[in-house]
Amino acid sequence: MPLPARREEDAVDGNERGAVRYQCRHVTRYGYGDPVTSAHMLAHLAPRDHPRQTCHKATLSIVPWPGVVTERHDWFGNPVTYAALHTPHRELTVTAEIEVTVAPPPPLLAETTPCWEEVAALAATLAETAEFVRPSARVPLADTALTLFAAAFFSQGRAIGEGALDLTRRIHADFSFDPTATTISTPISEVLARKRGVCQDFAHLMIGALRALGLPARYVSGYLRTLPPPGKPKLQGADASHAWVQAWCGPHDGWIDLDPTNGRQCDTDHVTLAWGRDYDDVCPLRGVILGGGHHGVLVAVDVDQLDGR
Amino acid sequence: MEERWDAGRRLLFQNGVTYHAYADPQGVERPWPLDPIPLLLPHSEWLMIAEGLRQRARLLNRVLADLYGDQSILRDGVLPYGLVLGDPGFLRACHGMDLAAGARLTLVATDMVRDRTGIWRVLASRTQAPTGTGYTLENRVVMSQTLAESFRGCNVERLSPFFEQLRQTLISLAPRGSGPDGCPRLALLTPGPLNEAYFEHAFLARHLGLTLVEGADLTVRDQAVYLKTLGGLERIDVILRRVDDDFCDPLELRPDSALGVAGLVEAVRAGNVAVCNSLGSGLTDSVALMPWMGALSRHLLGEAPLLADVTTYWGGDPRQRAEMVAGLDRLVFRPAYSSMGHRTTFGPELDAAGRAALAASLRRRPQDWVAQEPVVPSTAPVWRDGRKVARPLVMRAFACATPDGDWMVMPGGLARISADERFASVTLQTGAGAKDVWIVGGAIGQPQRRRGLASLMPDGGGDSGPRAGDLPSRAADHLFWVGRYAERADAAVRTLRAAARRLSDDAHPGAEEELVPLLRLMGFNGMIPMEIAGLPQTDAVRGMRQALEIVADPANPGGLRATMDRLRRAAAGVRDRLPGEFSRVLTVLGEVASQPLKTDPAAMHLRLDEVSRLLASLIGLELDGMSRGPAWRFLVLGRRLERAIGIVGAFNGCGLGPGTAGTVASLSVLLELAAAGAAYRDRHPVGIRREPVLSLLLADDDHPRSLAFQIKTVQRQLVKLPPIDGEGLSVSPTLLANQLLETASRLVADPQPTRDPTALADLTDRLGRLLPEISNLLSQAYFSHAFARTT
Repeated sequence: MPLPARREEDAVDGNERGAVRYQCRHVTRYGYGDPVTSAHMLAHLAPRDHPRQTCHKATLSIVPWPGVVTERHDWFGNPVTYAALHTPHRELTVTAEIEVTVAPPPPLLAETTPCWEEVAALAATLAETAEFVRPSARVPLADTALTLFAAAFFSQGRAIGEGALDLTRRIHADFSFDPTATTISTPISEVLARKRGVCQDFAHLMIGALRALGLPARYVSGYLRTLPPPGKPKLQGADASHAWVQAWCGPHDGWIDLDPTNGRQCDTDHVTLAWGRDYDDVCPLRGVILGGGHHGVLVAVDVDQLDGR
Repeated sequence: MEERWDAGRRLLFQNGVTYHAYADPQGVERPWPLDPIPLLLPHSEWLMIAEGLRQRARLLNRVLADLYGDQSILRDGVLPYGLVLGDPGFLRACHGMDLAAGARLTLVATDMVRDRTGIWRVLASRTQAPTGTGYTLENRVVMSQTLAESFRGCNVERLSPFFEQLRQTLISLAPRGSGPDGCPRLALLTPGPLNEAYFEHAFLARHLGLTLVEGADLTVRDQAVYLKTLGGLERIDVILRRVDDDFCDPLELRPDSALGVAGLVEAVRAGNVAVCNSLGSGLTDSVALMPWMGALSRHLLGEAPLLADVTTYWGGDPRQRAEMVAGLDRLVFRPAYSSMGHRTTFGPELDAAGRAALAASLRRRPQDWVAQEPVVPSTAPVWRDGRKVARPLVMRAFACATPDGDWMVMPGGLARISADERFASVTLQTGAGAKDVWIVGGAIGQPQRRRGLASLMPDGGGDSGPRAGDLPSRAADHLFWVGRYAERADAAVRTLRAAARRLSDDAHPGAEEELVPLLRLMGFNGMIPMEIAGLPQTDAVRGMRQALEIVADPANPGGLRATMDRLRRAAAGVRDRLPGEFSRVLTVLGEVASQPLKTDPAAMHLRLDEVSRLLASLIGLELDGMSRGPAWRFLVLGRRLERAIGIVGAFNGCGLGPGTAGTVASLSVLLELAAAGAAYRDRHPVGIRREPVLSLLLADDDHPRSLAFQIKTVQRQLVKLPPIDGEGLSVSPTLLANQLLETASRLVADPQPTRDPTALADLTDRLGRLLPEISNLLSQAYFSHAFARTT
């Protein structure tokens, strides 16, 4: 999981002010005790269409090479790859390599966004938002504790942008980043009670809090540029998949990217892969295998800035 | 009436018509409660209903195609976005699939209730995997037999053309013909024997000629679906599924589903298999759609709806929600979306606290609720405890797509009796029974086609054995264990009968002495505790009485009933592979074994005779009622291996090893258990002697209960199975099994153990390890159907 990035001046891309070009490499290596005779995979490892992001290159290589690979766009518009492999294997490596340019978001004038009650009333009926106010597999209907937690940020008539930013910062401030505290199946209620977790937990928590008040929220899967400690070289594979939240702030401002793990609005440090209702919609790599016995998995992610740094 | 109806109930019971009640903690099968009075509907009335049902099916098909396609009805504002996008039954993975019209919906069920004015109103539609056609057919078979004269006199419309149409439609949807002669290969996907409607799945599969499969039987390769059979992979073209939408594919739908097939969605997307009804069709089950049916009909079909709906409100719409809030004490509340279940809350029955809770829930998540105006139902006569009473009914009617894009409505249906006199609301779990629906008075004067009903009989008498399609590995596994458990039950009954006879018949010479080896054998087989099994002859009579009480106790996990239960469970998973009569005998056996055995030895002996006869009839069906295909081979392999293991156990249990003299008592018991008494006396009139007795039981391959006979039979059947080379294994398990059998065959032919107790002990010890190993090797070779898991 990514360490919170420290702010630095953004490099200037040749084309757009403040834009940054990245090369990302995401390697997933499975090892099995017994041969796997059949494997089906679903990968969300290519960057989706995004108003602030341009994709220059996206490749996916799978070793051993599967007999079947198909590509399509899912319901949310994310590119998704299906692959199936039926030759017995004890090791499987999936490598995704992408190059993207990320532009900074326009400044959010939080206090000018509409009041949250107005947003909630509108969101339930619009095509763009209707499904993102409803419970989903990993973000079930909010319990009382979560609803109370959320309500504290949204006093009557408060601007949606202000409440959402406040919530983002408070999760960062009050919750500990602790990879040992949770697994992917830890429920939101437990994250809220123990105040610790990783980026997925914080994203789900924040989505649950927003939806508890009828506010639309999306789960975003992607990468975060991290910086090595001062004076040390950047380690290979030290980065990781990251997850954050998009909150809908009314028809004018639309979806705003907020990173509760780092307590701030997303900028050019965040590379977007896919978004959906929660982790299940956009899981980077999901597989169903036959055989295999005990298995282990190693994930290595590198996010490198191009153009000089 | 009552007397004739007894015959009907018996018929249903023996045919094993059951459904599971999930609410029942023991998950027992409950018999299907069929009411003897059919619901008669005049042909003229039915014509109008059927026309409405066809229209409704056409409409739902169009709605699904639109919502999983370009969603014009959302864009045009005919349906609210929130209603559809908030429905957990809207499967995003299935959006954008290009499907043939008939593949979207193949079978539609509609639940209707008749109000006081006589108008049939739609209560709900079932479009995902509608249940009930099989039960309807079975009801008809029973009704037409028990009420044969009335049935003929009423000129009742036949059901068979509907099922023929369903089969033809399924065939027409096949993207290609992968079966023999280029015919499509069709399968019925079931969640398995634990599902409440498993009976119907097996029944329909058999009736329509589909291979009954579970998710683990199938695999997706190259975006096509294959059945794992003993002979390899066989491609499947059409799947009639009874697994719920989101359980069908752990890769793209619910990751925690163990009932589905990984890659199935991709195979459908690639157009290589048709799944009926299409994945995602649970969407049109949602009651929340009902307030919009009229608008949808006008928008998509340009027609006013022909069927009246029960007035329904959806909480996601502010105006309708206001009606719901105002009608808390009047309306019937249900979950808006089908995937949230079908639990019903009756407003008038709520107390103040209940009403407050409902109002709070309605405020908190209004989209999740619908409410329906209560229908004051008309009633129909129902037979209860020997007299007629009036009860409301819910009728489930069925429509089937035809290849030309039209719909055929089944002339009949499943009328379910409401348990409550005031409300018409039923589910399979809570309903109080079912009625056959007779459409009468149509087609007067037309000669009834003779083949009509006969072709509907599930198995006209003798039955068939294996059907089209190949044997899935899972089915082979079940059949093998049906063989083993049937034989285990048989051996247990033989032992008990031998014991009961010696207790009840004092005149039997040596009776008390022979109780000693019987007790030891029962202890050895785990039927009784060892402290009773080891009692000396002086205490044998008392010990055996105690032993019989223990074995007869239905609650004892080592008792007779437990063995019968295991047999029944194994057979339940391969119901479609066994002769119909087999299931009927098992049903009766289960019934007999679940009654506590009388511990009075004479009564017990009589009961055991009955059980023994039933078990013998299973052997008869095996011999005479099944074709010699792979299904039969696995049944026989299981039985013979179990018997061989049992014989070796009997040698050990009866005490013929070193230090035990090999008494005449033990030898007599062994002869009796092997049904070899007469054969022995014919050859050796001088009396019981160790050497010839053992020689008969070990090496005489003409005697069907000798060890040599079992080993030879197993060898003969094993070579006829496809050999397995054991992918990833160093030695082929079938080769190894054959080698072990060869060794076993040499061991039993050796005369030394018949004379020498030490050699006999050595023999039984070696066989005791070798025979179970053969069983393990068979499992490894043929049954190792690994389950897929998500990573």
